[in-house]
Amino acid sequence: MATATMTFARVKVQRRFGLALRVTLVIALLAVAALPLVYGGDVWAQRISRAAIYAIIGLSINTLTGHAGQISLGHQAFVGIGAFAAAFTASRLGAPLGFGLAAGAVAGMATAAVVGMVALRVTGLYLALVTLAFGLTAETTIFNWREFTGGGAGAFAPRPDILSGDRAFALLCLGVLALVLYADWRLVSTKAGRALAAVRNDERIAATLGIDTTGYKLAAFSLSGLAAGLAGGLFAHWNQVVQAMDFEFQVALVWVLMTVVGGLRSRLGVVLASAFFALLPLTLPNFLSGLPWQPPFLNEAVYHVLPPFIVVVMLLLVLRFFPGGLGQLLRPATRWLTKGGRR
Amino acid sequence: MSRRQLLKVEGLSLRFGGLQVLDDLSLTVREGRIVGLIGPNGAGKTSCFNCLTGIYRPQGGRVFFDGKDVSHLPTHRRARRGIARTWQNLGVIDALTVTENVMLAQHQRAGYSALAGMLGLAGTWHRERELRRDAAEIIEYFGLEDVADERAGELPYGVRKTCDMAMALATDPKMLMLDEPASGLSPEEALALGTTLRELRDRLRLTILMIEHHVPLVADVCDYVYVLNFGRLLTEGEPEAIQRHPEVIAAYLGGAAEPGAGSDGGTVPVAAADGPPDWPLVPEGPHSDGRPDGTA
Repeated sequence: MATATMTFARVKVQRRFGLALRVTLVIALLAVAALPLVYGGDVWAQRISRAAIYAIIGLSINTLTGHAGQISLGHQAFVGIGAFAAAFTASRLGAPLGFGLAAGAVAGMATAAVVGMVALRVTGLYLALVTLAFGLTAETTIFNWREFTGGGAGAFAPRPDILSGDRAFALLCLGVLALVLYADWRLVSTKAGRALAAVRNDERIAATLGIDTTGYKLAAFSLSGLAAGLAGGLFAHWNQVVQAMDFEFQVALVWVLMTVVGGLRSRLGVVLASAFFALLPLTLPNFLSGLPWQPPFLNEAVYHVLPPFIVVVMLLLVLRFFPGGLGQLLRPATRWLTKGGRR
Repeated sequence: MSRRQLLKVEGLSLRFGGLQVLDDLSLTVREGRIVGLIGPNGAGKTSCFNCLTGIYRPQGGRVFFDGKDVSHLPTHRRARRGIARTWQNLGVIDALTVTENVMLAQHQRAGYSALAGMLGLAGTWHRERELRRDAAEIIEYFGLEDVADERAGELPYGVRKTCDMAMALATDPKMLMLDEPASGLSPEEALALGTTLRELRDRLRLTILMIEHHVPLVADVCDYVYVLNFGRLLTEGEPEAIQRHPEVIAAYLGGAAEPGAGSDGGTVPVAAADGPPDWPLVPEGPHSDGRPDGTA
């Protein structure tokens, strides 16, 4: 009896200690992640904003591809329309930044809902083609609509005074990212998440359980568009000018790939991979050209086209060795951090 | 027989190209009954289930459920009226755990909107806890508590089958449609299933329509039986009468050898008519339907 009590007491102490240890570790990791923001100056503040915007886009694609099992190769259209809508609201209408972001989100959502209605009739490869065609069409039509996008010079999206500093703006981006992460967490923890899992795996089973499969697929498209439009709005104000060439097909492809590399349905994996791919083109060329020894035939111009190759190599590695992406690799660590030794 | 008609099917016809899968099929299921739907392989039993749940769109005929015409409703709206079903090749989502599967089945009575859940509104947390508690109760009723946190895809066939049944019940249905609930079960398990089904009927007042090949189970629990052959109703009646019906024996014994016997109305071979007094042979093995192989 006494031994049992002692054992229980020890387990309890270990649990308490384990919890304290885990909380400390999470805080320490967050603190390390915050270092560049605190000490990196404006350069790193800008980079962090970009990483956060990419992460929101990654989570947007994750909603569609990871949760609902639908693919979109036209995400540059949703993000782009969100960005132009935000810029239009800010510069032409002179509305405050919040309205611009809301306009971007609504515009992205509406566009995605329309594409979703068409896309509901096709699946798999054909869905990929429909979204691809939509994205390319949007590039040549909507993004060239001079009154809306400002033509070649682009549309301006000035920041208000309070957000004119890069650090303040980075905090805004991180705040929005936190909201999106929260929504994603609640989504998968409640009935919508289970319904989407059923829709993704077997629509017939889902329907016989009373789940409106069409409605959920459309909702996933709309939600994905909403997050994409929001990210677009942030991008507009981050860059302070939006041009059609910011939203070309290649960038949409990178977004899809980074989500897969991060791991579908893994929030942490998607965020990390998105941040990595957001920063790679900014940091890698400078880093390589700054090295003391330069290999023959290579120069800075070559370094600038390296990131897409790295993306492809990483995709191949992921597909071959860990289909669950970065999230799968990190799962033992994240499971321990969130739940301790218990299941 | 004066019970209310819960399900009424009138003149159901289903064609796939030139193949007449269901031909002018009519049947009635009264409230609180266990009704069997039997027939040789390819008789159209599962197709009939798919028409009733709205997965197939029949070319003709109407389906009334609970007094209302549901012929044109999509599957999920029929499910919300109280039609639940299990599947021959299992209606569980392999990627989810048993608990998650049961909670998935509670979808329509979650009591909050998907948007409220996503925004994390206060009431949804409480409802989620309640749903989890309800799910645990259902899981315990079916004896699945040891595997509650295992992924359904990693469990043996028999357990997944039980999970499928638990899910159908978790939708809180008026009528339960079971597609071969005893396939893959041992004789003892099949008998236990009979007890469960009667308990569901008597204690939860459920109406059950089931496709089944396991003859002792049908004879044991069914109040009424419809026999399907080549998409048409061959005969109907109480199980005792059906067991001795000459056309049924002919369809089961001669169905494969003499397809004409069913399609032109069934001329009954005399030899078959004075065949075994007990049930005819079970026409097919329990694993002949392309189901994933598994152990019960």
